[in-house]
Amino acid sequence: MATSNSLTPGALQRRAFLKQAGTLGAASALGGTGLAAFAAESSRLILPFDNGERELVAYPQKRPLILLTARPPQLETPFSIFNEGEITPNDAFFVRYHWSGIPTSIDPQSYRLKVGGNVNTPLELSLTEIRQLGDAVEVVAVNQCSGNSRGLFAPRANGGQLSNGAMGNARWTGIPLKKLLEKAGVKAGSVQVSFNGLDTPPTGDGPDFVKALNLDHAMDGEVMLAWQMNGADLPMLNGYPLRLVVPGHYGTYWVKHLSDIIVTDKPFEGFWMNPAYRIPDNGCACVEPGTAPARTVPIGRFNVRSFITSVSDGARLHAGKPVLVRGIAFDGGYGITEVAFSSDGGKSWQSAQLGKDLGRYSFRGWSASFTPPRKGAYELRVRAINRAGQSQPMTALWNPAGYMRNVVESVRVTAV
Amino acid sequence: MNPSTLIRRTALALLLAAPAAFALDIDLPPETALFKPSALPGYELVQRNCMTCHSVHYVQSQPPMSPRPYWEATVKKMKKPFGAQFPDAEIPAMVDYLVKTYGAERSTAPPPAAAK
Repeated sequence: MATSNSLTPGALQRRAFLKQAGTLGAASALGGTGLAAFAAESSRLILPFDNGERELVAYPQKRPLILLTARPPQLETPFSIFNEGEITPNDAFFVRYHWSGIPTSIDPQSYRLKVGGNVNTPLELSLTEIRQLGDAVEVVAVNQCSGNSRGLFAPRANGGQLSNGAMGNARWTGIPLKKLLEKAGVKAGSVQVSFNGLDTPPTGDGPDFVKALNLDHAMDGEVMLAWQMNGADLPMLNGYPLRLVVPGHYGTYWVKHLSDIIVTDKPFEGFWMNPAYRIPDNGCACVEPGTAPARTVPIGRFNVRSFITSVSDGARLHAGKPVLVRGIAFDGGYGITEVAFSSDGGKSWQSAQLGKDLGRYSFRGWSASFTPPRKGAYELRVRAINRAGQSQPMTALWNPAGYMRNVVESVRVTAV
Repeated sequence: MNPSTLIRRTALALLLAAPAAFALDIDLPPETALFKPSALPGYELVQRNCMTCHSVHYVQSQPPMSPRPYWEATVKKMKKPFGAQFPDAEIPAMVDYLVKTYGAERSTAPPPAAAK
């Protein structure tokens, strides 16, 4: 398994067991007692902001995750998962939907993907035909919700009140979107490509969730139609049987349960491109807190982020005893080149050791040794820099939609 | 893997690395969140008008200081462009219930535990 060495033995055992259960079709028989009872006893946790009390609930193909909303399902990954390795297990990967009309039964034999619009040859392809478009490719890439960490905004921003768990890193397997568009033959004068999935508004004439990419982006050879994550079929709630993977870009573009791809000869202006998912049209994607931006553009690439995962707020360390502080960092695809760690609230910094390079779109593990010199309080901070020299602000930037939080994170600990 | 997942596919299909031969079906867990009971006339309206399309979580998880203009804009957004079917005449009572139950105009009377 490609991800083996980044997982703990416990996680590996669990995955091996789950894989076998699924393969043998024994999941329901096994789960009837133990796992079901566990799921029913919903435990609770409190996210670090006002009104942050949440249930942990096990959804199909998922371990208990933080329940943001039940209908449609929106699930956040408990932050401790990110300390288990650079790859986020499929059953812990976050879930985000917009409309409650979601597919709960999909037959891969009758599933079809349509390609139309400004093309020479409209297509309607089965999964088998899609896999035969060319050699399968793989990329390890972070998917992150635009509103990841929105609950931590000050002043607060309305919308999904997420802590830092609406992100995950997986090895995606699929075919470049470019291969599909080449087969259909994009006509001259085309400007964008739009993507629709099987999820639908529950009532009335609400705007279907459709997203668009500029044609040159869609044809860059990196945007992918993926049918696997981490070596297994996509879980239903992560887009089975086929989803768009847009490396380095926010999850809003990673359309799930892909059903229709349309090449357009003018910019697509559906609700979910405009006015939704827009950021201030300036270098920081930010405005003065509490104010509205004069001009906006569609959200795009991730900014730089880094987290401490091995120690959480309120942890107790031992004075004079070294501890290896670990974490993750990522950006929109330049690649992380440096991670700095501070144990004095950002007054002084030391270089952290970078972990294995899984590619420029992946989480990059890091570690730094820290020995609290004496008893007392310490504020641990982490800051990453990418190949383009971009980093993270020491104080949080703000925008009305609560997108793109990337402040330098602090973890307060006490040495005893 | 969760017990409510019924995966009807054969080991053979997996070995061949071809698309699975049978459908993937999931059963979602029961939805348990409810609106807080209230004597306000909007209580009945939100149960009918909001829960048609989404769970109560969308409301109860918002920042507790969300002001009346937020709730009013959000209820209106649910109609247009989101397509909810309730009449305009019901909007004021819905907004009043929402801001007084989950927003900035909550009564300060209940103890903190109950106010969650």
